[in-house]
Amino acid sequence: MTAGADRRFRLAIGTATVLALAAIWGVGSAGQWIAPIYFPPPGEVWTAFVQVAVQGYADGMLHQHFLHSCLLVLYGFVAAVAVGVPLGMLMGWSRRAEAILNPAFLLLRPIPPLAWIPLAIVWLGLGDAAKVLVIWFAAFVPSVINSYAGVRSIEPHLLEAARSLGIPRAMLLREVLFPGALPLVFTGLRLSLQACWTTLVAGELIGAITGLGHLLYQGGLDIYPAMILVGMVAVALAGGLMTALLTLLEARAMPWRGR
Amino acid sequence: MFDRVTRTFERDGQPVPALAEMSFTVREREFVAIVGPSGCGKTTCMRMAAGLEFPTSGSVTVGGRGVTGPGPERAVVFQQFALFPWKTVYENIEFGLRGKGIARGERAERIARQLELMGLRDYGSAYPHQLSGGMQQRVAIARSYVLDPGVLLMDEPFGALDAQTRVVMQEELVKLSRVNPRTVLFITHSVEEAVYLADRVVVMSPRPGRMREVVDVATVRAAEDWDRHERIEDVMDQQSFVRLRTRIWRLLREQQATATEQP
Repeated sequence: MTAGADRRFRLAIGTATVLALAAIWGVGSAGQWIAPIYFPPPGEVWTAFVQVAVQGYADGMLHQHFLHSCLLVLYGFVAAVAVGVPLGMLMGWSRRAEAILNPAFLLLRPIPPLAWIPLAIVWLGLGDAAKVLVIWFAAFVPSVINSYAGVRSIEPHLLEAARSLGIPRAMLLREVLFPGALPLVFTGLRLSLQACWTTLVAGELIGAITGLGHLLYQGGLDIYPAMILVGMVAVALAGGLMTALLTLLEARAMPWRGR
Repeated sequence: MFDRVTRTFERDGQPVPALAEMSFTVREREFVAIVGPSGCGKTTCMRMAAGLEFPTSGSVTVGGRGVTGPGPERAVVFQQFALFPWKTVYENIEFGLRGKGIARGERAERIARQLELMGLRDYGSAYPHQLSGGMQQRVAIARSYVLDPGVLLMDEPFGALDAQTRVVMQEELVKLSRVNPRTVLFITHSVEEAVYLADRVVVMSPRPGRMREVVDVATVRAAEDWDRHERIEDVMDQQSFVRLRTRIWRLLREQQATATEQP
């Protein structure tokens, strides 16, 4: 089978599975085999979607919740990456930097990001700043680790070749170290982004005025499973969208990896 | 030039001698090949000339000056090509010139000449992974030649290529070094390759590596006029070639026998 035919086959199978699940959902709900209190029928979910999109729910319209969550993730993510990637690369490049920074980092690393929530609230209150801080912690650790590993993964003979060519230090950092580390840096960004969304939802569940986590929380309080489902799908979409953007950026940043 | 160079490594806290009292000189514009069994320290020799490693005792000098580190006047061609995957062929060749601070116009001129010479003219914008192994090593050689280095150091540059490609590359290297003779230190474990390419062959004994003998090839090559043959198999067919090859083989075999006799 050719690669193209194989891909088409996989796509067909995958679509069939999703359609089958949707059919089970529709038929099961219509036939009352699935209790609506546990899992709402498609019509109810649609009604909930229209309600939150048009009239609003949990103190905001769907797009407000959506945008608010995306912004918080973006702030935390960008701030974490801006600090984490250079720090990780520095640790990968310089033994001295590694000796100084690594012990502190090892101490920080095993703390689950969610464990920072109480402290973040004490420091910054219940507002957005505390959530951004927690998201920052969640994204920081994978950024550092993978940037560090990225620099270390560069084949030693490439560095030797650069030194033999007489490449000055600044050029070596910019044109050998950085692009050499990039594949693993992006792996780190991907993991960071996932961690951001997990943390955001948890943070907003605990206390928020707007945001998708808040929408989920309100849906839980109101025992409104259809709305909870809308919230879950929205979180998945937002996360998927950001990951897709990252993938696009990755292809742009590493044109030499073209398929 | 190597003067009584000794190099010891440490393994599990134990000193392991790699090279013992190695002395030899590569003359200006001379092509010297080092042959020896694996682990005889021939790559260590090259790395010390490159300034990537340093002798435990003795000295390595190039042009009268001690080697203190790597530099573009001693360009290295590695067995694993060591091309930068994120740079195009052109950018790979350009990299060292930019490191030297050579102006764009001159860079373009020198790179164009080098691409032409190595048969890479249409591949400037390709990335290394799009090229075959032979083409990749051409790029690596072009990247060294373009710097116009005083000394070229080649560490089994054709070792990772398939047999047919290797032969083509060997023939091209011979042509290249007849057109434009350089001071070359060439590491190989292939006796044929050494005799075919080099002016003199340094034969080494196994660990700790020592120089066994230096075999003169240039005199025989000139006397028998090997260069009138285009193809490597015609040169290798010459009685004089076979005799040299056999002599080096015997040297390598003898020392192997003495090495196994030792407890």
